[in-house]
Amino acid sequence: MTTDTVISCRNVWKLFGADPAGYLAKKPEGHSYEDIRADGYIAGVKDVSIEVSRGEMLVIMGLSGSGKSTLVRCFSRLHEITGGTIEVEGQDIMSLSEQQLIDLRRNKMGMVFQSFGLLPHRTVLENVAFPLEMRGQDKHTRRERALEVVKLVGLEGREEYFPRELSGGQQQRVGIARSLAIEPDIWFLDEPFSALDPLIRREMQDEFLRLQAMLGKTIVFITHDFDEALRLADRIAIMKDGAVEQCDTPDKIVLNPATEYVRKFTEEIDKARVVHAGVLARDGITGEGTPVDASASIQELAKLLVQDTRAAIPVHRDGKLVGALDREEALNVLVGAE
Amino acid sequence: MASITVDENMQGGVGFSRQRLAGILVFVAVVMTILQYTGLLPSVLHRLPESAIPPFATWLDAMFNFVKDDLGLLALTRFLTEGLQWILDVTANLLFGKRRWPNIGPIPWTAIAAVAGVIGYYLGGWRLALLGAGTFIWTALIGQWKIAMETMSVLVVAAPLAFVIGLGAGILAWKYSAFNRAIKPILSVLQTLPFFTYLLPAVIFFKVGPTAGAVATTIYAIPPMVLMTTLGLQKVSPEVVEAGHMSGCTRWQLLRHVYLPSARTEILVGVNQVIMLCLAMVVLTAFIGMPGLGAKLLAMMGSFKLGRSFEIGVTIVLLAVMLDRLSKAWVVKQPEHFERGTPWWKRHATSLIALGAFVFFCILAQFVEVAAEIGRKQNFSQGKEIDTAIKTFLAFDPVQNTTNAMRYVLNVWILNPFRDFLLSIPTSAFILLVIAFALWLGGKRPAIYAAIFFSLVALSGWWDRSVITLYSVISAVSLALLIGVPIGILAARSDTWSRRVLLACDTAQTFPSFIYLIPAIMLFGITATSVVMSILIFAMVPLTRYTIEGLRTVPVEMTEAADMAGATRMQKLWKVQLPLALPTMAVGFNQAIMFAFFMVIIAAFIGTQDLGQELQRTLAGTDLGKNFVLGLCVALMALTFDLTIMKWASDKKAALGLDD
Amino acid sequence: MKKFTTALSAGVLAAMPLAALAEDSSDPIVIPIHNWSSQIVMSNVVGQIFESMGNNVEYITTDSQAVYESVRLGDVTMELEVWEGAFGASFRAALEKGGLHDAGDHDAVTREDWWYPMWTKDACPGLPSWEALNDCAKVFATAETGDKGRYLDGPVDWLKHGQERVEALGMDFVVVNAGSAAALWAEIGAAEADKRPVVVFNWTPNFAEAVWPGEFVEFPEWVEGCDKDPAVGPNPNALYDCGNPAKGYLKKAAWDGMKDKWPAAYETLTKISFTNAQIAEMAKLVDIDEMEPEEAAEAWLEANPDVWQGWTS
Repeated sequence: MTTDTVISCRNVWKLFGADPAGYLAKKPEGHSYEDIRADGYIAGVKDVSIEVSRGEMLVIMGLSGSGKSTLVRCFSRLHEITGGTIEVEGQDIMSLSEQQLIDLRRNKMGMVFQSFGLLPHRTVLENVAFPLEMRGQDKHTRRERALEVVKLVGLEGREEYFPRELSGGQQQRVGIARSLAIEPDIWFLDEPFSALDPLIRREMQDEFLRLQAMLGKTIVFITHDFDEALRLADRIAIMKDGAVEQCDTPDKIVLNPATEYVRKFTEEIDKARVVHAGVLARDGITGEGTPVDASASIQELAKLLVQDTRAAIPVHRDGKLVGALDREEALNVLVGAE
Repeated sequence: MASITVDENMQGGVGFSRQRLAGILVFVAVVMTILQYTGLLPSVLHRLPESAIPPFATWLDAMFNFVKDDLGLLALTRFLTEGLQWILDVTANLLFGKRRWPNIGPIPWTAIAAVAGVIGYYLGGWRLALLGAGTFIWTALIGQWKIAMETMSVLVVAAPLAFVIGLGAGILAWKYSAFNRAIKPILSVLQTLPFFTYLLPAVIFFKVGPTAGAVATTIYAIPPMVLMTTLGLQKVSPEVVEAGHMSGCTRWQLLRHVYLPSARTEILVGVNQVIMLCLAMVVLTAFIGMPGLGAKLLAMMGSFKLGRSFEIGVTIVLLAVMLDRLSKAWVVKQPEHFERGTPWWKRHATSLIALGAFVFFCILAQFVEVAAEIGRKQNFSQGKEIDTAIKTFLAFDPVQNTTNAMRYVLNVWILNPFRDFLLSIPTSAFILLVIAFALWLGGKRPAIYAAIFFSLVALSGWWDRSVITLYSVISAVSLALLIGVPIGILAARSDTWSRRVLLACDTAQTFPSFIYLIPAIMLFGITATSVVMSILIFAMVPLTRYTIEGLRTVPVEMTEAADMAGATRMQKLWKVQLPLALPTMAVGFNQAIMFAFFMVIIAAFIGTQDLGQELQRTLAGTDLGKNFVLGLCVALMALTFDLTIMKWASDKKAALGLDD
Repeated sequence: MKKFTTALSAGVLAAMPLAALAEDSSDPIVIPIHNWSSQIVMSNVVGQIFESMGNNVEYITTDSQAVYESVRLGDVTMELEVWEGAFGASFRAALEKGGLHDAGDHDAVTREDWWYPMWTKDACPGLPSWEALNDCAKVFATAETGDKGRYLDGPVDWLKHGQERVEALGMDFVVVNAGSAAALWAEIGAAEADKRPVVVFNWTPNFAEAVWPGEFVEFPEWVEGCDKDPAVGPNPNALYDCGNPAKGYLKKAAWDGMKDKWPAAYETLTKISFTNAQIAEMAKLVDIDEMEPEEAAEAWLEANPDVWQGWTS
């Protein structure tokens, strides 16, 4: 593994049932989800291998019951896995003692929950300071730090409120602030915006992107909303019945869905907004004239693509030529033709 | 929706439906009874011969003596008694000035009333402030301050003790399923055991007087606390727990900072129940020499002072209602934030005002005697006047005629024949009938329990008395159904009436049960009618309460759907509301039976031939074994009904898709 | 030095011939209180006498039967009203186990038997003879008893043998057991409203005499052995064929340790003796005059110094 891999999991299984370990020993790899279910077990996570690199935002997308929440809980060992290995920063987390695990969580991990998971009897400030309190920091420093994070998430002036006195969006800001209080390296977000109204959700996503631009954490983000996944992700892992169907960048998933299941998600998507020039750039051909930026989406290039007459347009990334895109192909993406 | 039956989830099995099997059992029982009437039934099947009855009491006595003396439990409990005695002495000194360390009491009544007022205001505004202070002012003015404080001095020790033990056991039961499995049946038995059975061991192990009273009270109040704690902890949202984990909580931190605070509501509901049960029990402990309101009440009843008894009853109700309302207000009280920079004194304004009022009245009491104590000549007791009023009412001819007619009809035509009929059923047939009932209503498991429990009752050698106990319970609950359910249905039609009737229920329930006995005797004489009537009041309360609750919690969409379907009021009631409310009403029915079993024991005061009378008799002696056998007979019968009806209610609820 | 003096004084004290000079312990003397007024007032009277002698006193409410076990163990120091009829059995049982002893009788005598309030005599003029009572049995009939009269006996556990007496004397009565004293009073109270004739179990000294004047039914006079030997009494084949003793004792009982721990108070206890009239007076202060027991005791002590002052010296 390269040093840049933060989380690495190999052949991870999480089975629910009477004797999961015993069942796994019988090598059910070839069995389908339904087969396993017929045997009396639920495959929460089924033979998943995935890696998360430093500073990357991996979005795990799936419908409810697909195992995405279970998988993320395996990363932090909120669930004990049945088989396989999970390494966090090169350390096998299943081998950690209780104290080591607590230390890991106290210093390296933060998590945000769908229904916020706030402690109802504590004020905003006390909730945010909670992980610091658990790790035994003195009252003064934890207060200072908590105030800082509360400000970061834009809840200044609400420090003394109790959770039930806040709106859903505000409560989730508290959840985010709490998860950031210890300055974690790895940040887990379990459907953080699902419980919010659509308008607030959009606003929170922007807020989240702003924070991430500032902080640059390694992030595992869970969602059931494909749009949200496309909007935020560096890479998306699509899960179904406990297994990962496809794990790739949004562009590639949209352009080349690996399975029928994934394709169904991509059908309704306006690909032009997702696909970037960089993805379409080919090494083999060299265009002429003014280049376009690799990070520009096809939609942003729409006017140019329609008006231009070149067959191939050069693509730059950070001022360097990375190839050229086939205008015909790009136009196809724009009009949604396969 | 309403017509869904629960048949599918029962064992269909060997071709017998549950109902068929129950029918067959009933048939066999009827045949056996007929055989008995014609003299053909072997006498063993009619009543177990004396020789076949194992000497449970002797065995239990031997066991108790072993535990008590050989295992040294008595030494241990007597040692604990010393500690408990010390705490009780402190509260006794503070509240009514018993001459013990710290020798600073008694706290003036005005100071306590003022603090109660401030707490009431903090929890629920002026109404509760009035209730809090008003209760204590009433108590003082009516001249019962000292006895009320005698009761309170035990209550303030027993309730926290029950809380701590219950909380601890609840946490253990939640954490370790083995412990939970072990403790569940014990709690069920404790909840159905007649209180007389708590009293005697308490006296033997913890010395007569307040210590034994405190111990009996504590034990009596523990079960609901355990159950509520476990329930609350189980209900904590998994995300909150995970948030705790992710914050790096150790196990202890998780319990202390995450679980317990999140289960606050259920725990406080437990506290409320602890307080109410403590208050109910603390009055009954008068039977083992606990001084206070209960003892005074017994003494007043013993010298036929109805008015004074009634006034003490009112004090007890007021105390109960006050403690109930305050603790319930505490349950729903949510923390409010203070703006940043609020000065210290403003954040703690309530505590400061309470402290200020307390100090003020303590000082005032040094100079103004009335503020410290209200003597006999200053109080406003109307005992004699109430006596006269009650006697005049009873001497009123229409009252006499009505009660005499009722007494005649109920006793001669209904109750006594019913009792004789029940007694004439052979034991074995009786057990079969009970099994059939449990099978029909609850299914296989309750039926097995019914078989075991009633067989044990038969083996105890107290069969006839048990049947008489059961007969009183059945008669009273049947009457309560006829009266309580219609009242509930009528009251549920409007908000105002629901509230009023529920308030009446609360009052009736907290009114010390043995006060009902005197009017019942004066109206109906020392007869079965009096017994049934005094149980009736108590048994009606849960029926009415749960009928109202069941009807009012029917989902609005369903009643609206019924309205849109053009249902008349009656149709709506019969086709929609009642079927949906039925599981909740069943819980009320179950409670009515439990209350009836509780009250039938107290009704021994009127004069009965049932288990209660024997139990009362054991209190005077040291017959621990017999006391327990009798208590268990009551508990086993009550448990049979409890298991059966609750099973039915939960099946029904599941079938209707209603949650708890 | 200090140790030495302590030892010396202890030695001197031990050598003293009489306990009279020894100090009473400062621990409180525990006096039991039951649920009838005369006993409560009497206990307060005696408690206040002890307090006037410098002792600490504490009252504790107990069951009137279970109290003997407590006295025996020393949890309670004494019992001031041991009724022959009601508590004789419990007292004797505790006496056999050891730990308490008889501290002398009161002057007062006790009686427990069938009793009726005065208005009953209007309906059955032949009273108080038991034969006359039996002749007008119908007058006492209730809905449940049919033609027979009803006699309301005390609670079953008081073991008053009403049923046995009815059978032994061939009376036309059905015995119904009340569950408590309160139930008896309630029944009399209800009967009072329309002056309905009743015959119930009752005893003296008792507050009821003051509230409802009445008389005991005169049964064949008590003869020793009436409860053990069928031959004794008018019916040669039955037990309990006579009335209860008309002059039962009223005792005091004390814990064995009392003598050593509170010698002076013990001395007083043995001298204490109340008469029926005095006991009735005490009960009246509470039951009729509505005083609190402590106040009633004070009032009584104030009014009767010559009765009790002799006991303390």
